[in-house]
Amino acid sequence: MRILLVEDNDELAETIVDRLRAEGHSVDRESDGNEANELLRHINFDIILLDVNLPGRSGYDVLRSLRARSDQTPVIILTARSQIDDRVLGLDAGADDYMIKPVDFRELSARCRVLARRRSGSASNLFTVGAFSFDRAAKLAKINGQDAQLRAREVQLLEIMIDNLGRMLTKEEVADRLYTFEETPSMNAVEQLVTRLRKKLEGTHLVIKTARGLGYMAYVSDDD
Amino acid sequence: MAAGFAILLILISILLWTYARSAANRTHDLLLAGAALSILERVSIGPDGPTVDMPYSALEILSLNPVDRVQYRVFVPGKADITGNEDLPFPTNDELSAEPVFYDSDYQGAAFRFVMQGRRLNAPTGAEWVAVKVGQTVEERASQQWSFFLSGLIGLGALSLIGLGFVWVAIRTSLSPLRQIAGDLRLRAPNDLSPVEGAPPREIRGLFDAINGFITRLDQSRSLTETFIADVAHQTRTSLSALQGHLALAVDAEDFDAMRARVDRADRQAARTVRLTNQLLANAMVIHRSDQASMHPVALRALVRDTLAESLKDSRMRKIALSFEDEGIAPGRDVIHGDALSIREALRNLIENAVRHGPTDNTVTITLDEADEQVRLSVDDAGPGIADEDLAQATERFTSLSTKTRGSGLGLSIVKAVAEGHDAELRLGRSSLGGLNVTLIFRRLAVALLLILGLGFTGPEAQAQTLRIYSATDTPAMQPLIDAFIATTPGATVEYVEFQTIDLYERILDSTPEEMPDVVISSAMDLQVDLVNRGLAQRVFLPADAMPPEWGTWRSELFGFTFEPAAVVYDRRAISASELPANHRDLATFVRANESRLRGRIGSYDLRASGVGYLYASQDSLQGPQAQRLIEVLGRAGLRIYCCTSRMVDAVARGELAFAVNTIGSYASSLIADMPQLGLHFFEDYNLVMTRTAFVPAASRQPELAASFVTYLLSETGQSAIAEQTPLIPIRPSAPAHKEIERMIAEKRGTFLPIKLTPALLTFLDVLKKRDFLSVWDTSLARLP
Repeated sequence: MRILLVEDNDELAETIVDRLRAEGHSVDRESDGNEANELLRHINFDIILLDVNLPGRSGYDVLRSLRARSDQTPVIILTARSQIDDRVLGLDAGADDYMIKPVDFRELSARCRVLARRRSGSASNLFTVGAFSFDRAAKLAKINGQDAQLRAREVQLLEIMIDNLGRMLTKEEVADRLYTFEETPSMNAVEQLVTRLRKKLEGTHLVIKTARGLGYMAYVSDDD
Repeated sequence: MAAGFAILLILISILLWTYARSAANRTHDLLLAGAALSILERVSIGPDGPTVDMPYSALEILSLNPVDRVQYRVFVPGKADITGNEDLPFPTNDELSAEPVFYDSDYQGAAFRFVMQGRRLNAPTGAEWVAVKVGQTVEERASQQWSFFLSGLIGLGALSLIGLGFVWVAIRTSLSPLRQIAGDLRLRAPNDLSPVEGAPPREIRGLFDAINGFITRLDQSRSLTETFIADVAHQTRTSLSALQGHLALAVDAEDFDAMRARVDRADRQAARTVRLTNQLLANAMVIHRSDQASMHPVALRALVRDTLAESLKDSRMRKIALSFEDEGIAPGRDVIHGDALSIREALRNLIENAVRHGPTDNTVTITLDEADEQVRLSVDDAGPGIADEDLAQATERFTSLSTKTRGSGLGLSIVKAVAEGHDAELRLGRSSLGGLNVTLIFRRLAVALLLILGLGFTGPEAQAQTLRIYSATDTPAMQPLIDAFIATTPGATVEYVEFQTIDLYERILDSTPEEMPDVVISSAMDLQVDLVNRGLAQRVFLPADAMPPEWGTWRSELFGFTFEPAAVVYDRRAISASELPANHRDLATFVRANESRLRGRIGSYDLRASGVGYLYASQDSLQGPQAQRLIEVLGRAGLRIYCCTSRMVDAVARGELAFAVNTIGSYASSLIADMPQLGLHFFEDYNLVMTRTAFVPAASRQPELAASFVTYLLSETGQSAIAEQTPLIPIRPSAPAHKEIERMIAEKRGTFLPIKLTPALLTFLDVLKKRDFLSVWDTSLARLP
């Protein structure tokens, strides 16, 4: 993956860059908000790791101008502030995730992978996790090369979960996306559908986790 | 004490009020009595019984009061009315006598003060009583009463202040021990928390003890803080030492495996240090935020749901079976008074504890339910839990019970601090899942439904506003002013209706409130004063720089906006400049001397048809006996009469008239502008000046728009527009002068005699007075009435 790290502290930046390079990613680093902004005008990255307190212009401003240019590159905000207001602001400004410093490298890598998966899952037609693959155009899911034999609704659900990888969806949100306005969605039907899909995905690395009372979240188990 | 003082103040105020009332009444009653007396003096027995020649002085006396409206009636009690308003009220005790009787009464919706006085006359038919009633509204009287009252109160207030000063000195002396304490506290070093010394008087002993109690508590709190800082220093230093130690050993390690093992331990130690630091910061933050300022109504359901969804992103949560049970609380009943940030921190720490101390596939259940007025938030897990005997010290700071996972020992103490900050109860116990149960019990906020009533606020509607102006002024003269006004007032349109002065006056008198226009403009000042005196106008508050001179305004209701002197227009071919009479007396002499040459060649207003003509003529009659003589002379010379200035100018231009007197100077000047054969002349003794006046009827439907039109007429821009774009002359002299006539006026400034806008103008509107005046005029002109 091509990753841009915008961080003004050299020591911290060096460790993050080394860690991500060690995992085989190509990493560019900027320490100034204005320069990062300029760079982002011309070059596309797969993921941007963005500090908030930057010389030049703040991380939020960089993010806002990025989104104002309709650039949907996934962004993880790195912040040393723990106040929730900052987080909301970051998410409002269009960040995909945030982490509080000092960051755990393993966790940072995991979050990067989730975002990259989510993006590639919705951007390209073929989504592959180990032995599991899903062809979005053909609406065909395969396990070990064999048709997983998903029904139409299950394919729809699978698409929704892949688009929201690593993100919690409430049962109501799932129902809203599955059913049209005229159909009366029953929460039981959603539950049964999720159970069936989960059973069919058993043995693959694509996992649908249920948190009772909260909703569903899909993740890729070998990413962690 | 305050109540006693208030009662005293009210009593004094009542006394002052009564005094102020009688004083104000005395002053104004004198004016009323003077007016009544001067009318009675002019009562006489005529051929048709008692009659009166209304003296100008009567209403002029009342005009000394610049605000109030005036009413009068002269009558023969029980028999006949002579003049004035027939329906004026009687005093309750209507015993008529030669002494004035004063009484208050409402008339036409306004409060009036009246005087009634009688006079016995000897008529051929025997003795006859004639009575006069004069009344005036009480606005000035009331404001004078207020001013008497207020100045009394101010004196009283000043006296009280001096008294208070003495009290202050007394208190200051007796409370000097307090100053000693203040000095002691001020000079104290910040770290000196010893009790304040001193022997206070009995009255302030309680305060003294309270201050010392507070100092003691502050001291305790400070030592707690010191302990906390010491703890924090100890913990972080220890943790960092361990980290440093592992790293130093790694640097010195002989072989790669030993180094690897050391670095692994350093890594774990670093993670612990990070967690410790985070929790210390969280702890400090939670304590700092436990003051009331951070507390707001918080809906727990949404807060808990968001926090849980957030925490599930953590990859360590993959195997944890997390569930949220909120069926036990009804919608809308989850609101407490709290700090969302602190509660989120507490919940996060509880989940983190469960994850840290339990198995990787731990089951964690968060439950939100209600009981009575409580909202309970509990976290259960299937981990090892805490042994009953350890529960008590589990929430103590830096107490980590587990040696295996070695927590920071801060997680539960953060939760405890949050509970204390929210006045919530914290319970620890065994969970039905097998592990620990932590329950926070909050008090529900009694949510008062704040119904914000729709104030029916509707935005400024782009509704077209139409201003109706009834005016006795030529439309071409007003058009530029109306155009300029519309240009500055978006959305306004003007409906302009032109009248003759008397028609306008009658139209307004006959109008129902619905038919009333928004602005009434007329050159007949007396008729305008009469309409305003009837209470038909409303106040308009002009900015100070738009106020006309004092003579040109009455009651803040009637405003003059032009300066219109009476002028002589003459034919240069018929009269040479050297012949022109210098004053009114010379004019009479000149006409008599040239009677044959001027016969039928002098023009003036028809006093019956023109309000302005009558106004000029009646005001002339006040200037002395030569006015009457002049009318007789003009009558003998065959004076020709006209309805308006323009006709007189036309007649002079055609050579039919040698000159015309009492034309409206401003009009005449613009009419003769391109007729070099005609000239304009002013006298040296006096030249009457009339002003065109405007008022806003009380029944106007667009009072604000109307007020802004009147304001415009008198504003700097309006006055310049009058000077530059109309034949009229602004009431405030424009500099530089725009017209020839303005230069002439400037040359003879002292001779111009403005007619004042006062109720005295009503004298010549008195029915008897007007009839007599006009009949004298008719006789002089040898006309039949």
